[in-house]
Amino acid sequence: MVRRTNDEWVTALHGGDGEERALADLRTYVLRAALFSLQRARHYVGHLGSTDLAQLAEDCAQESMTAILQRLDTFRGESHFTTWAYTFAVNTALMAARRERWASVPLDHILDGTETPSLAAGDHGAIDPEKQALQAEAVVAIREGIEQLTVKQQQLLRAVVFEQVPLDEVVRRWGSNRNALYKLLHDARRKLKRDLRARGFDVDEIFDLFAVRA
Amino acid sequence: MSMGNFERLLRLAARTEDQELSCTECFDVLPQYVDLEVAGGAPERQVPLFRQHLEQCAVCREEYEMVRELARLEAEGRSPSVDDLRRTL
Repeated sequence: MVRRTNDEWVTALHGGDGEERALADLRTYVLRAALFSLQRARHYVGHLGSTDLAQLAEDCAQESMTAILQRLDTFRGESHFTTWAYTFAVNTALMAARRERWASVPLDHILDGTETPSLAAGDHGAIDPEKQALQAEAVVAIREGIEQLTVKQQQLLRAVVFEQVPLDEVVRRWGSNRNALYKLLHDARRKLKRDLRARGFDVDEIFDLFAVRA
Repeated sequence: MSMGNFERLLRLAARTEDQELSCTECFDVLPQYVDLEVAGGAPERQVPLFRQHLEQCAVCREEYEMVRELARLEAEGRSPSVDDLRRTL
Protein backbone atom coordinates (compact mmCIF):
# COMPACT_ATOMS: atom_id res chain seq x y z
CA MET A 1 0.00 0.00 0.00
CA VAL A 2 1.25 3.50 -0.87
CA ARG A 3 2.04 5.77 2.10
CA ARG A 4 0.47 9.18 1.53
CA THR A 5 0.32 12.52 3.27
CA ASN A 6 -3.11 13.92 4.06
CA ASP A 7 -2.89 16.24 1.05
CA GLU A 8 -1.93 13.36 -1.22
CA TRP A 9 -4.93 11.36 -0.05
CA VAL A 10 -7.37 14.21 -0.59
CA THR A 11 -5.91 15.21 -3.98
CA ALA A 12 -5.94 11.66 -5.30
CA LEU A 13 -9.48 10.99 -4.06
CA HIS A 14 -10.64 14.21 -5.68
CA GLY A 15 -9.72 12.71 -9.06
CA GLY A 16 -6.01 13.52 -9.10
CA ASP A 17 -3.16 11.26 -10.14
CA GLY A 18 -3.45 7.80 -8.71
CA GLU A 19 -7.16 8.05 -7.92
CA GLU A 20 -7.83 4.39 -8.67
CA ARG A 21 -4.99 3.24 -6.43
CA ALA A 22 -6.06 5.59 -3.66
CA LEU A 23 -9.62 4.27 -3.83
CA ALA A 24 -8.36 0.69 -3.61
CA ASP A 25 -6.13 1.56 -0.64
CA LEU A 26 -8.92 3.43 1.11
CA ARG A 27 -11.16 0.43 0.64
CA THR A 28 -8.53 -1.75 2.32
CA TYR A 29 -8.40 0.65 5.29
CA VAL A 30 -12.15 0.77 5.80
CA LEU A 31 -12.60 -2.97 5.29
CA ARG A 32 -9.86 -3.59 7.87
CA ALA A 33 -11.64 -1.30 10.34
CA ALA A 34 -15.01 -2.95 9.69
CA LEU A 35 -13.61 -6.48 10.10
CA PHE A 36 -11.67 -5.44 13.20
CA SER A 37 -14.75 -3.83 14.76
CA LEU A 38 -16.98 -6.84 14.10
CA GLN A 39 -14.32 -9.21 15.41
CA ARG A 40 -14.08 -7.20 18.64
CA ALA A 41 -17.84 -6.76 18.92
CA ARG A 42 -18.56 -10.43 19.57
CA HIS A 43 -20.95 -9.41 22.34
CA TYR A 44 -23.20 -8.07 19.58
CA VAL A 45 -22.61 -10.44 16.66
CA GLY A 46 -21.53 -13.69 18.32
CA HIS A 47 -24.60 -15.42 16.87
CA LEU A 48 -23.47 -14.77 13.27
CA GLY A 49 -21.27 -17.19 11.34
CA SER A 50 -18.03 -16.14 9.65
CA THR A 51 -19.61 -15.90 6.18
CA ASP A 52 -22.35 -13.58 7.42
CA LEU A 53 -19.82 -11.51 9.35
CA ALA A 54 -17.54 -11.19 6.33
CA GLN A 55 -20.51 -10.07 4.22
CA LEU A 56 -21.58 -7.60 6.89
CA ALA A 57 -18.04 -6.17 6.93
CA GLU A 58 -18.09 -5.80 3.14
CA ASP A 59 -21.43 -3.98 3.30
CA CYS A 60 -20.15 -1.67 6.05
CA ALA A 61 -16.96 -0.96 4.09
CA GLN A 62 -19.01 0.00 1.05
CA GLU A 63 -21.27 2.25 3.10
CA SER A 64 -18.23 3.87 4.74
CA MET A 65 -16.54 4.51 1.39
CA THR A 66 -19.64 6.36 0.19
CA ALA A 67 -19.83 8.43 3.38
CA ILE A 68 -16.11 9.29 3.29
CA LEU A 69 -16.16 10.36 -0.35
CA GLN A 70 -19.30 12.42 0.22
CA ARG A 71 -17.70 14.20 3.17
CA LEU A 72 -14.19 14.51 1.76
CA ASP A 73 -14.47 18.32 1.70
CA THR A 74 -15.13 18.37 5.44
CA PHE A 75 -11.75 16.77 6.25
CA ARG A 76 -9.79 19.57 7.94
CA GLY A 77 -6.47 17.80 8.26
CA GLU A 78 -6.50 17.88 12.08
CA SER A 79 -5.78 14.14 12.20
CA HIS A 80 -4.23 11.54 9.95
CA PHE A 81 -6.51 10.94 7.00
CA THR A 82 -6.52 7.24 7.81
CA THR A 83 -7.70 7.84 11.41
CA TRP A 84 -10.47 10.03 10.02
CA ALA A 85 -11.45 7.22 7.61
CA TYR A 86 -11.32 4.62 10.41
CA THR A 87 -13.83 6.70 12.37
CA PHE A 88 -16.43 6.33 9.62
CA ALA A 89 -15.84 2.59 9.22
CA VAL A 90 -15.92 1.86 12.96
CA ASN A 91 -19.09 3.93 13.38
CA THR A 92 -20.81 2.10 10.51
CA ALA A 93 -19.68 -1.37 11.64
CA LEU A 94 -20.60 -0.90 15.30
CA MET A 95 -23.99 0.56 14.42
CA ALA A 96 -24.64 -2.51 12.24
CA ALA A 97 -23.41 -4.83 15.02
CA ARG A 98 -25.66 -3.21 17.62
CA ARG A 99 -28.61 -3.50 15.24
CA GLU A 100 -27.84 -7.22 14.80
CA ARG A 101 -27.86 -7.73 18.55
CA TRP A 102 -30.91 -5.68 19.47
CA ALA A 103 -33.22 -5.77 16.42
CA SER A 104 -35.24 -8.76 17.66
CA VAL A 105 -35.30 -7.84 21.34
CA PRO A 106 -38.74 -6.64 22.46
CA LEU A 107 -38.45 -3.18 23.97
CA ASP A 108 -41.98 -1.84 23.54
CA HIS A 109 -42.68 -2.21 27.25
CA ILE A 110 -39.85 0.26 27.88
CA LEU A 111 -39.95 2.57 24.87
CA ASP A 112 -43.73 2.90 24.74
CA GLY A 113 -44.41 2.25 28.40
CA THR A 114 -45.67 4.88 30.80
CA GLU A 115 -44.42 3.20 33.93
CA THR A 116 -42.02 5.38 35.88
CA PRO A 117 -38.68 3.59 36.33
CA SER A 118 -38.74 2.03 39.77
CA LEU A 119 -36.23 3.03 42.38
CA ALA A 120 -36.47 0.64 45.26
CA ALA A 121 -34.99 1.87 48.51
CA GLY A 122 -33.23 -1.35 49.37
CA ASP A 123 -30.38 -2.12 51.68
CA HIS A 124 -27.49 0.05 50.60
CA GLY A 125 -25.19 -1.16 53.28
CA ALA A 126 -25.58 1.57 55.91
CA ILE A 127 -25.31 0.40 59.48
CA ASP A 128 -25.58 3.79 61.14
CA PRO A 129 -29.36 4.51 61.54
CA GLU A 130 -28.82 8.20 60.81
CA LYS A 131 -26.97 7.38 57.60
CA GLN A 132 -29.63 4.84 56.71
CA ALA A 133 -32.33 7.52 57.10
CA LEU A 134 -30.38 9.91 54.89
CA GLN A 135 -29.97 7.20 52.26
CA ALA A 136 -33.70 6.53 52.23
CA GLU A 137 -34.33 10.27 51.89
CA ALA A 138 -31.90 10.48 48.98
CA VAL A 139 -33.56 7.55 47.22
CA VAL A 140 -36.97 9.23 47.60
CA ALA A 141 -35.51 12.49 46.25
CA ILE A 142 -34.09 10.72 43.22
CA ARG A 143 -37.30 8.77 42.63
CA GLU A 144 -39.34 11.96 42.77
CA GLY A 145 -36.81 13.66 40.50
CA ILE A 146 -37.33 10.92 37.92
CA GLU A 147 -41.09 11.33 38.21
CA GLN A 148 -40.71 14.99 37.27
CA LEU A 149 -39.12 14.08 33.93
CA THR A 150 -41.22 13.89 30.76
CA VAL A 151 -42.53 10.47 29.72
CA LYS A 152 -40.05 10.39 26.81
CA GLN A 153 -37.16 11.23 29.13
CA GLN A 154 -38.23 8.50 31.54
CA GLN A 155 -38.51 5.95 28.70
CA LEU A 156 -35.09 6.91 27.39
CA LEU A 157 -33.51 6.90 30.84
CA ARG A 158 -34.93 3.48 31.55
CA ALA A 159 -33.77 2.05 28.23
CA VAL A 160 -30.28 3.57 27.98
CA VAL A 161 -29.23 3.97 31.61
CA PHE A 162 -31.04 1.14 33.39
CA GLU A 163 -31.40 -1.51 30.67
CA GLN A 164 -28.24 -0.40 28.83
CA VAL A 165 -29.88 -0.49 25.42
CA PRO A 166 -27.51 1.25 22.95
CA LEU A 167 -28.66 4.75 22.07
CA ASP A 168 -28.55 3.74 18.38
CA GLU A 169 -31.26 1.15 18.92
CA VAL A 170 -33.61 3.69 20.49
CA VAL A 171 -32.75 6.07 17.62
CA ARG A 172 -33.74 3.36 15.15
CA ARG A 173 -37.00 2.49 16.88
CA TRP A 174 -38.09 6.07 17.46
CA GLY A 175 -36.97 7.23 13.99
CA SER A 176 -34.83 9.90 15.61
CA ASN A 177 -31.11 10.70 15.58
CA ARG A 178 -28.29 10.39 18.09
CA ASN A 179 -27.96 14.12 18.71
CA ALA A 180 -31.65 14.56 19.50
CA LEU A 181 -31.77 11.65 21.94
CA TYR A 182 -28.45 12.58 23.56
CA LYS A 183 -29.91 16.07 24.12
CA LEU A 184 -33.10 14.58 25.60
CA LEU A 185 -31.02 12.54 28.02
CA HIS A 186 -28.72 15.48 28.76
CA ASP A 187 -31.72 17.64 29.66
CA ALA A 188 -33.01 14.84 31.91
CA ARG A 189 -29.66 14.51 33.70
CA ARG A 190 -29.40 18.27 34.16
CA LYS A 191 -32.92 18.43 35.58
CA LEU A 192 -32.24 15.54 37.92
CA LYS A 193 -29.05 17.17 39.16
CA ARG A 194 -30.82 20.52 39.64
CA ASP A 195 -33.79 18.91 41.44
CA LEU A 196 -31.49 17.09 43.82
CA ARG A 197 -29.66 20.31 44.62
CA ALA A 198 -32.96 22.15 45.12
CA ARG A 199 -33.91 19.50 47.69
CA GLY A 200 -30.70 20.16 49.55
CA PHE A 201 -28.75 17.23 48.15
CA ASP A 202 -25.50 17.64 46.38
CA VAL A 203 -24.80 14.74 44.04
CA ASP A 204 -21.28 14.41 45.41
CA GLU A 205 -22.69 14.11 48.95
CA ILE A 206 -25.03 11.34 47.78
CA PHE A 207 -21.98 9.65 46.29
CA ASP A 208 -20.36 9.72 49.71
CA LEU A 209 -23.56 8.63 51.43
CA PHE A 210 -23.76 5.51 49.28
CA ALA A 211 -19.97 5.13 49.09
CA VAL A 212 -20.16 5.30 45.30
CA ARG A 213 -16.72 5.72 43.78
CA ALA A 214 -16.65 8.93 41.74
CA MET B 1 -33.78 -0.40 40.46
CA SER B 2 -30.74 -2.41 41.37
CA MET B 3 -27.81 -0.82 43.14
CA GLY B 4 -25.90 -0.99 39.82
CA ASN B 5 -28.53 1.14 38.10
CA PHE B 6 -28.71 3.51 41.04
CA GLU B 7 -24.94 4.04 41.00
CA ARG B 8 -24.93 4.44 37.24
CA LEU B 9 -27.60 7.13 37.38
CA LEU B 10 -25.83 8.96 40.20
CA ARG B 11 -22.54 8.86 38.36
CA LEU B 12 -24.08 10.19 35.15
CA ALA B 13 -25.97 12.93 36.99
CA ALA B 14 -22.90 13.97 38.97
CA ARG B 15 -20.83 14.34 35.84
CA THR B 16 -23.44 16.27 33.91
CA GLU B 17 -22.32 19.66 32.61
CA ASP B 18 -24.52 22.50 31.37
CA GLN B 19 -22.69 22.47 28.05
CA GLU B 20 -21.78 19.11 26.52
CA LEU B 21 -20.62 18.01 23.09
CA SER B 22 -23.27 16.45 20.86
CA CYS B 23 -22.60 13.03 19.34
CA THR B 24 -21.86 14.66 15.97
CA GLU B 25 -19.35 17.04 17.56
CA CYS B 26 -17.78 14.06 19.33
CA PHE B 27 -17.53 12.16 16.02
CA ASP B 28 -15.90 15.19 14.37
CA VAL B 29 -13.15 15.61 16.98
CA LEU B 30 -12.62 11.90 17.67
CA PRO B 31 -9.83 11.34 15.06
CA GLN B 32 -7.91 14.40 16.26
CA TYR B 33 -8.21 13.34 19.90
CA VAL B 34 -7.09 9.79 19.11
CA ASP B 35 -4.07 10.91 17.09
CA LEU B 36 -2.96 13.30 19.82
CA GLU B 37 -3.39 10.57 22.42
CA VAL B 38 -1.52 7.94 20.36
CA ALA B 39 1.29 10.45 19.80
CA GLY B 40 1.59 10.89 23.58
CA GLY B 41 0.22 14.44 23.65
CA ALA B 42 -2.35 16.04 25.94
CA PRO B 43 -5.55 15.79 23.91
CA GLU B 44 -7.87 16.94 26.69
CA ARG B 45 -6.38 20.42 26.56
CA GLN B 46 -6.83 20.69 22.82
CA VAL B 47 -10.16 18.89 22.60
CA PRO B 48 -12.04 19.90 25.75
CA LEU B 49 -15.29 18.17 26.76
CA PHE B 50 -14.51 15.12 24.62
CA ARG B 51 -13.79 12.88 27.63
CA GLN B 52 -16.87 14.20 29.42
CA HIS B 53 -19.03 13.19 26.44
CA LEU B 54 -17.52 9.71 26.43
CA GLU B 55 -18.41 9.30 30.11
CA GLN B 56 -22.04 10.01 29.26
CA CYS B 57 -22.37 8.23 25.92
CA ALA B 58 -21.66 4.50 25.74
CA VAL B 59 -21.95 4.22 21.95
CA CYS B 60 -19.49 7.06 21.27
CA ARG B 61 -17.14 5.61 23.92
CA GLU B 62 -17.18 2.21 22.26
CA GLU B 63 -16.38 3.74 18.88
CA TYR B 64 -13.58 5.86 20.34
CA GLU B 65 -11.97 2.79 21.93
CA MET B 66 -12.06 0.90 18.64
CA VAL B 67 -10.60 3.77 16.59
CA ARG B 68 -7.90 4.29 19.22
CA GLU B 69 -6.91 0.63 19.02
CA LEU B 70 -6.73 0.74 15.22
CA ALA B 71 -4.71 3.98 15.27
CA ARG B 72 -2.31 2.55 17.87
CA LEU B 73 -1.70 -0.57 15.82
CA GLU B 74 -1.15 1.58 12.75
CA ALA B 75 1.32 3.86 14.56
CA GLU B 76 3.24 0.79 15.74
CA GLY B 77 3.24 -0.71 12.24
CA ARG B 78 1.20 -3.68 13.47
CA SER B 79 -2.07 -3.18 11.61
CA PRO B 80 -3.74 -6.55 11.01
CA SER B 81 -4.17 -7.53 7.39
CA VAL B 82 -7.63 -7.91 5.89
CA ASP B 83 -6.88 -11.56 5.13
CA ASP B 84 -5.85 -12.28 8.73
CA LEU B 85 -8.97 -10.58 10.06
CA ARG B 86 -11.20 -12.54 7.70
CA ARG B 87 -9.57 -15.79 8.85
CA THR B 88 -10.23 -15.04 12.50
CA LEU B 89 -13.88 -14.04 12.16
